[in-house]
Amino acid sequence: MPLKQDALWYKHAIIYQVHVRTFYDSNGDGIGDFEGLDQKLDYLEELGINAIWLMPFFPSPLRDDGYDIADYNSVHSSYGTLEDFRKFLGSAHQRGIRVIIEMVLNHTSDQHPWFQQSRSSRENPRRDWYVWSETDTRYHQARINFFDTEMSNWAWDPVSKSYYWHRFFSHQPDLNYDHPAVREEMWNVMKFWLEMGVDGFRLDAVPYLVEREGTNCENLPETHAILKELRRRLDEQFPGKMLLAEANQWPAHLRPYFADGDEFHMAFHFPLMPRMFMGVKLADRKPITEILQQTPEIPPSCQWCLFLRNHDELTLEMLSDIERDYMNDAYAEDKAMRLNLGIRRRLAPLLDNDRRRIELMNGMLMSLPGTPSIYYGDEIGMGDNVNLGDRNGVRTPMQWSGGWNGGFSAADPEKLYAPLIQDPVYGYPAVNVFSQRRTQHSLLNWMGRIIAVRKTTGVFGSGSIEFLYPANHRILAYVRQLGNETILVVNNLSDAAQAVELDLRRYKGNILIEMFGKNIFPRVGELPYLLTLGPYHFYWFRLRRI
Amino acid sequence: MAEVRLADESFLTDDFLRQLINVGEVDILVGVPTHNNAKTIGSIVEAIQAGILRFFPRERAAIINADGGSRDGTPELIVKAAIDDARGRSSKPYTLRTLHSISTQYSSSPARGTALQTILAAAELLRAKACAVISPDSTQITTDWLTTLLQPIYTEEFDLVLPTYSRHRSDGILLTNLLYPMTRALYGLKIREPYALDCAFSGRLGSQFLAQNAWHDETVRAGCETQFTLGAIAGEYRICQSFFGTKEHVPRGSADLVPAMRQTVGALFSSMEPNFSFWSTKTGSQSIPTTGAERECILEPLRVNRKRLREMFTTGIAELESVFQSILSPPTLAELQRIARPEEVRFRYSAELWVKTVYEFAAAYHKSVISRDHIIQALAPLFRGRAFTFLVENSNGSADDVEHNVEALCLEFERMKPYLLEIWNGGK
Repeated sequence: MPLKQDALWYKHAIIYQVHVRTFYDSNGDGIGDFEGLDQKLDYLEELGINAIWLMPFFPSPLRDDGYDIADYNSVHSSYGTLEDFRKFLGSAHQRGIRVIIEMVLNHTSDQHPWFQQSRSSRENPRRDWYVWSETDTRYHQARINFFDTEMSNWAWDPVSKSYYWHRFFSHQPDLNYDHPAVREEMWNVMKFWLEMGVDGFRLDAVPYLVEREGTNCENLPETHAILKELRRRLDEQFPGKMLLAEANQWPAHLRPYFADGDEFHMAFHFPLMPRMFMGVKLADRKPITEILQQTPEIPPSCQWCLFLRNHDELTLEMLSDIERDYMNDAYAEDKAMRLNLGIRRRLAPLLDNDRRRIELMNGMLMSLPGTPSIYYGDEIGMGDNVNLGDRNGVRTPMQWSGGWNGGFSAADPEKLYAPLIQDPVYGYPAVNVFSQRRTQHSLLNWMGRIIAVRKTTGVFGSGSIEFLYPANHRILAYVRQLGNETILVVNNLSDAAQAVELDLRRYKGNILIEMFGKNIFPRVGELPYLLTLGPYHFYWFRLRRI
Repeated sequence: MAEVRLADESFLTDDFLRQLINVGEVDILVGVPTHNNAKTIGSIVEAIQAGILRFFPRERAAIINADGGSRDGTPELIVKAAIDDARGRSSKPYTLRTLHSISTQYSSSPARGTALQTILAAAELLRAKACAVISPDSTQITTDWLTTLLQPIYTEEFDLVLPTYSRHRSDGILLTNLLYPMTRALYGLKIREPYALDCAFSGRLGSQFLAQNAWHDETVRAGCETQFTLGAIAGEYRICQSFFGTKEHVPRGSADLVPAMRQTVGALFSSMEPNFSFWSTKTGSQSIPTTGAERECILEPLRVNRKRLREMFTTGIAELESVFQSILSPPTLAELQRIARPEEVRFRYSAELWVKTVYEFAAAYHKSVISRDHIIQALAPLFRGRAFTFLVENSNGSADDVEHNVEALCLEFERMKPYLLEIWNGGK
């Protein structure tokens, strides 16, 4: 099924996030590669996803899992070659799967030749490609993102005997976007991959491109101007391609990244994600509805990208202190699970491996306004390993089977880039693709079904949302609408059965058709519509006037 | 937990039940019985809301108003304390979760028993872990009350938290001269405020009390707070008391005494029958865990018409002689008549005589020698005589002196408990 021409394809995408290293090792060296990913595309097609978001696969010293790029125009030798990438890309497109790649605009590795040249002398032509200073006191209002490891946003360079600016690890110097040559070169990098055929970029850490004294150096107008220029060039030269913003900000601060539909196509909705976990733990819809009430309208061509988990910690930055404390106590009782302002755990362990809660969370992910992104392995309920340090505990090898190395690699186990999960609950003998494929009601097959149901309608990707506010606060109910298609979603956030009365009078005369089983429910009348839901149960109803 | 048989319980309306379904399970429940309290209830509910948000921000909480048919907008003021996600509530304080505040009007005429029964039923249906009842008259409430009342239940597994207060020495004389010492002597626990309009209790104690079959009994309904405390004692639930600051003196007319005695002394007397096997074996008394500052009395002057107290005592002795003959032993009645003579310049109703009087009234109540309500009414003028003596004896005393005298009276009640046992089933 080749790719369909659709300028708004990202609004109806189901994104699957994966690091090539983690997925499948085709050559037995213990590290996943593009050939391996290519071989597993049938699996992803069967699952029903139609977009892959690849984490950085560029040459890198890998001190930040590839987010420290040393060469933007190549493939890390461990993962294969440019030719391998091209082959994978072609295979994905043949299956109707688009490919979004990571683009780290803000910084490079300190091993990148640009930085090596920049630090080599103050007269080097690339000296100003990075942000240098004689003191470490400039831009002091900027927060430190990785405060668990970094004391300052400035690092002393003993080679050039001055300080350089870095918003993340000190081995990741920030590029100087005030320099026209930097902007031009980064566009050339993007063009390189666009010409190869990639369908979009997930632009990493975009709020930090420009620094200005007297500000917190985030979300500055100059940054937006640079991003808009990239978008203009993208639209002109590569129509149909997509930009996805990684900006961990409040909704009101995120809104400018969509501008008038001429900056980003998509942005992650960071504040919603922890509140979904909070809502389920509290058995109270309030955190979810409140953040969505605060979420501004975005241009029709734009889209939120929703996720439950990703390669990073479950960020708690966009929470108040009281909420953050609650989340830590509720989801990271063991201090080892905490990292920076977040929780480094996967979806299934966060939800106590409770299948009902996993389904409910995925149900909300698939039915709230936006494009869902699934983190690799969460579709089978993989676990994590908090003992691996940093965020590596959620980046362990994909568990394909109960056999040798979980079916991930033929290498000796000692050679694997990271140990497999082996505990009795989440270990690969218990949780793997092979066994779940054989079980009709496995999580994997359930995920395939919900994706298929979501894809039967454009409402979830493009429709409006209206919240119902039933008096039972444990019920999160909303109506999604697009044209004359209307879908009612009712979620029970609590661990107990609930009765709820919904005011559906405006839909009087409609019958409700439950979208999974396609069973008919009673017609809506004047009286409150009474539903009962089991613990963590949810319904998707199509409203039909017949 | 005892099961609430809803089909038999007409006091829960369908609408209230629907509201309870929406509230679901709670950790903390605060009950507020009301009847036309609009003038004071606003600040009380604000304090309750602030207390919940401050001390129980993560807990599932609900404020439950049982209203006796207010016509002044009291329920509406309480319902406004809810915090949820419905639109147009942006001015509300921030909360982690929904705070419910719901109200129901019970069908009978205003009665604290019905209100308490409604609150207890709500607590059981909502499976509340810790419940507090706040009186609509508690205008001195602060946010700290919520933690003072509820924390011992919620975190220390107490079943009943009763308040203690600083009181004026002229305030609460019925408490210091009868309710406290007699409860202490009967049940062996030094509970300063056995009759508490503000208290907190565990879900299991609430359920136990709700399940009793005596809600139709007017004595139980009228003296439900006392019955509740005594039920907790007799059930050997874990009880503690917490200091709540100064009790505001509420001036009351003489006509208020008999209803107050029905609610308190009547309840105390009526509880003695079902709990006989429990209290009859108790000797002495023990302290119970107490948190907060020491209770003390306030010595600022407070006008009390002592002359009127003595007059009402004297008149009562004269007018109710035939009633007293049914209740009191001849020596006790004779002694009372002696001290009531006008020529007794130095009127003194001694502790020993007072204890003997009260015990004989309790036994008479048990035997129903005359109408029980008449027995309670007949005790009123005698209590006024005792109150006169208490005020005179403590008119110049320090706080310690007052406390010393109260303690002496308690010991007298304990010392004479065998006399109570002797007359309980015997003759006068």
